[in-house]
Amino acid sequence: MFRRRERVSDPVTIWFCDRAIEAAADDSVAAALLAAGIACFGRRPVSAAPRAPFCMIGNCFDCLVEIDGETNLQACLVPVRGGMRIRPYPGYEPGNDIKMSEL
Amino acid sequence: MSQDTSTDVVVVGAGPAGMTAASCLAQSGVRVLVLDEHMAPGGQVYRSVEKVTDKRSADLNVLGSHYRNGSKLVERLHSSGAQYWPGTSVWEISAAGEPTLAVGVVRDGRVRLIQAGHIILATGAMERPTPFPGWTLPGVMTVGAAQTLLKSSGLVPDGRIAVAGSGPLLYLYVSQLIKAGKKPQVILDTRPRASLQAKLSVLAALTVDPASMFRGLGWMREVRREVRVRERVHRLRAGGVEKLSSISYESCDRQFTDDVDLLLVHDGVIPNTWLAMSAGCRHHWHVQQRCWVPTITGAGQTSRQSVSVVGDAASIMGADASVLHGEAVASEVIACLEGKQQNAVGNAAHPFLVRQQRLLRRCLDQFYPPAQEFELPPDDETIVCRCEEVTAGQIRQVATLGCVGPNQGKAFTRCGMGPCMGRKCGVTVSRLIAEHHGLGMDEVGHYRIRPPVKPITVAQLAELEIDTDAHTA
Amino acid sequence: MRHLDIAVIGGGLLGSAFAYGLSADGGRVGLIDEGDHAIRTARGNFGLVWVQGKGLSMPDYARWSRRSAYAWTPFSEQLHAQTGISVEYHRPGGFYVSLDEQEFADNLALLKQLRNEAGEDGYDYEIVERSALREQLPEIGPAVPGATYCPHDGHANPLKLLRALQEGFQLNGGVYTPRAKVTRIAPVTAGGFEIHCDGGHRFGCDKLVIAAGHGSVELGHHLDMEIPIFPVQGQVVVTERAQMTMAYPTNYVRQTDDGNYLLGPSARDVGFNDETETTTLRDITRRCTTAFPHLKHLRVQRTWAALRIMTPDGFPVYLQSEAYPEAFSFSCHSGVTLAAVHATDVSRWVLDGQIPSRYRCFHPERFNVPA
Repeated sequence: MFRRRERVSDPVTIWFCDRAIEAAADDSVAAALLAAGIACFGRRPVSAAPRAPFCMIGNCFDCLVEIDGETNLQACLVPVRGGMRIRPYPGYEPGNDIKMSEL
Repeated sequence: MSQDTSTDVVVVGAGPAGMTAASCLAQSGVRVLVLDEHMAPGGQVYRSVEKVTDKRSADLNVLGSHYRNGSKLVERLHSSGAQYWPGTSVWEISAAGEPTLAVGVVRDGRVRLIQAGHIILATGAMERPTPFPGWTLPGVMTVGAAQTLLKSSGLVPDGRIAVAGSGPLLYLYVSQLIKAGKKPQVILDTRPRASLQAKLSVLAALTVDPASMFRGLGWMREVRREVRVRERVHRLRAGGVEKLSSISYESCDRQFTDDVDLLLVHDGVIPNTWLAMSAGCRHHWHVQQRCWVPTITGAGQTSRQSVSVVGDAASIMGADASVLHGEAVASEVIACLEGKQQNAVGNAAHPFLVRQQRLLRRCLDQFYPPAQEFELPPDDETIVCRCEEVTAGQIRQVATLGCVGPNQGKAFTRCGMGPCMGRKCGVTVSRLIAEHHGLGMDEVGHYRIRPPVKPITVAQLAELEIDTDAHTA
Repeated sequence: MRHLDIAVIGGGLLGSAFAYGLSADGGRVGLIDEGDHAIRTARGNFGLVWVQGKGLSMPDYARWSRRSAYAWTPFSEQLHAQTGISVEYHRPGGFYVSLDEQEFADNLALLKQLRNEAGEDGYDYEIVERSALREQLPEIGPAVPGATYCPHDGHANPLKLLRALQEGFQLNGGVYTPRAKVTRIAPVTAGGFEIHCDGGHRFGCDKLVIAAGHGSVELGHHLDMEIPIFPVQGQVVVTERAQMTMAYPTNYVRQTDDGNYLLGPSARDVGFNDETETTTLRDITRRCTTAFPHLKHLRVQRTWAALRIMTPDGFPVYLQSEAYPEAFSFSCHSGVTLAAVHATDVSRWVLDGQIPSRYRCFHPERFNVPA
């Protein structure tokens, strides 16, 4: 969906599930994931429909992720840090349709 | 003001209004603490301006000359003596009945209360909700989101892109995108034919602020030259499985379907009132701008004595007017802290500039009216509450049952109970209920907003400390 | 002016239950309500349908609560059948959890006394020490010494209940009029009452039920009824949805069918202030995470403060006007637990025109207020 205008001069590696992603040191987590082509940051609690960032300024809460075990973080507001481990929140893997109430 | 307060003034937000108010106050000797949820000052309009200026000059050309104004404001803030805390979210303001005025913040994963003598809310604007079928699909984002990605990370959209809605930001962004070497496939302009009133307001605005007007008209001309524009777009729908793959719409009585990878939507901006509402500040419906605004006396005084609002959070005024407003509100707050009455009438300092901004704003409001179909989604299946997936039909259903306001609607449908707390659905729900019952928006009212206005966990709340001196933290 | 057989003033949990129950009888029933921005205590309920611990010094109230708990099953089934709305009533029994030894001892002493007062009637509860408690509530915190279990306890969704009652009421032919705050009630010489509201609404009715929450105090005065109720503020913390793990409701925490946890309780004497207060919210989370540490990582989705209806002894206030026997007023703080008997028994009292003498125990004369 998005690509970088320039090559990353100071790359850091972050992880989304088991996937290593090259991010720029000053990216937000959301920007880094979008630049890597991640299209699903988690699932909605009612229908398990996929969600991804909508507003990028901390108002839509569709970018909520889990980072290094801490949950409910808005990916658009959190800067990346090398080695960060990011997972969709709540804990659905992309493509997994299990609803919260079925877990 | 008691000696226990940890700071004189807390400013929430570091956009042009917040930076200016904080700088003025600090330079007058007031202790100021600026709380910014972003990692560097600039707000949205000047997002990442320091970083872009220092490290990404190619992007500076793309973003345009107006963007560079942000650097001066940031420099002023840094040299003013105001304390600045980045990466800090505000999740509550203490209730009016409490003995001390305090702000609840989250910083470095910890929650604390900071006491203040006065609070200035510079929380800026957010994009107007634009519900239509399929808008919750990954691949549908706001124009503002795309522009933020450009400013903060130098990202441009890839693949086939459509842009829908109206408003100066839409045309500004597309012109920036063209400069960056990427053209959308199509722009879907949702405006009706311009009314006579709108055309006259353009003429009026041209006479008072030709620079801004030519700049804006310049973006439009450039964009329309390079990109296909469809006019009077209706019945926009986004389709796809798991993510966006196509859109359909009507334009001038013809039906269209396009394959797209990304749809960017924008229908103007509205004040971000959530913190002010949670603080119990009175709000009313601004008929011209079609949004909730805090009820203000003087320059920025809300219905709560120690809480002021400044900039777009007070009413949509744009970056330049926000700077002027920041100066006016700072003077007012200084007078308030000194126990004096402010006797200036509004922004008496720059009456011509104020009038200029007001005329420009009226022109923009009339030239870019919000799309009727986003305000009142015609299809019952349209999701209104993204968080809880409540549809327009369900809202209409409870309105028929007798819900006369959004809070009963929330109780009956869960609409507004998700993490966004109604930021993306509140205006739509109130409009739907108002329309159903033939009521005015002030009669219907808005959601009752409670803390936490930003996410905190049960553990963070349980571990709460009360901070008596922010400056030693 | 609209004529009604019975007018119910107040669209909260009590008023809606009465309106629903009364409308089932076939007469013309009207439910007169304020608008969206009023005190609306009904929006602040925890959702317990609770029996244990109730009725100290008034065994009649213990019996009344238990009666309602068992009436809840057919009541919720009927609502579901009629409206399609499930109010999510479950009665797995409930645990009253104690956070330390003193609280545990105090609770056991209370229950023992309640059992003594109940005599032959019995008062059902079991003492559950920590080791046994962990089998039923695996997330119970390490500091908790134990709990008491009552098989009659359960929980429901109070917001769905309110909606279902109003839908059922309207399906029965009842008429709901919101944005109609009652300003005056005038008895009519020939019988019945005239009700005047702001917004210009007027109603005539043969019978009248005042169930307007805190508004009942002022309305009661129009008909020489003294209704001794006052506000007690309660706050609630609601978490995001989580995996369904808590199979039982407890006094501190319950998990809804949607997966959210509700954390409570609290009580503050702050008049008609319905703003949340930070240290109260913090104290709620501290107590609840002592009881259930696994709640810690969950997001606080929202908080709420509501002005509960409290009477001087905590028991309901039910009365019929002496001067105007067609007028009734009912107030209580357990609007969820008692919803079932309100929709059935109490509605029947109104239709029959009299509160049975065995329920005179709920008359406010017990506080020595003038009738």
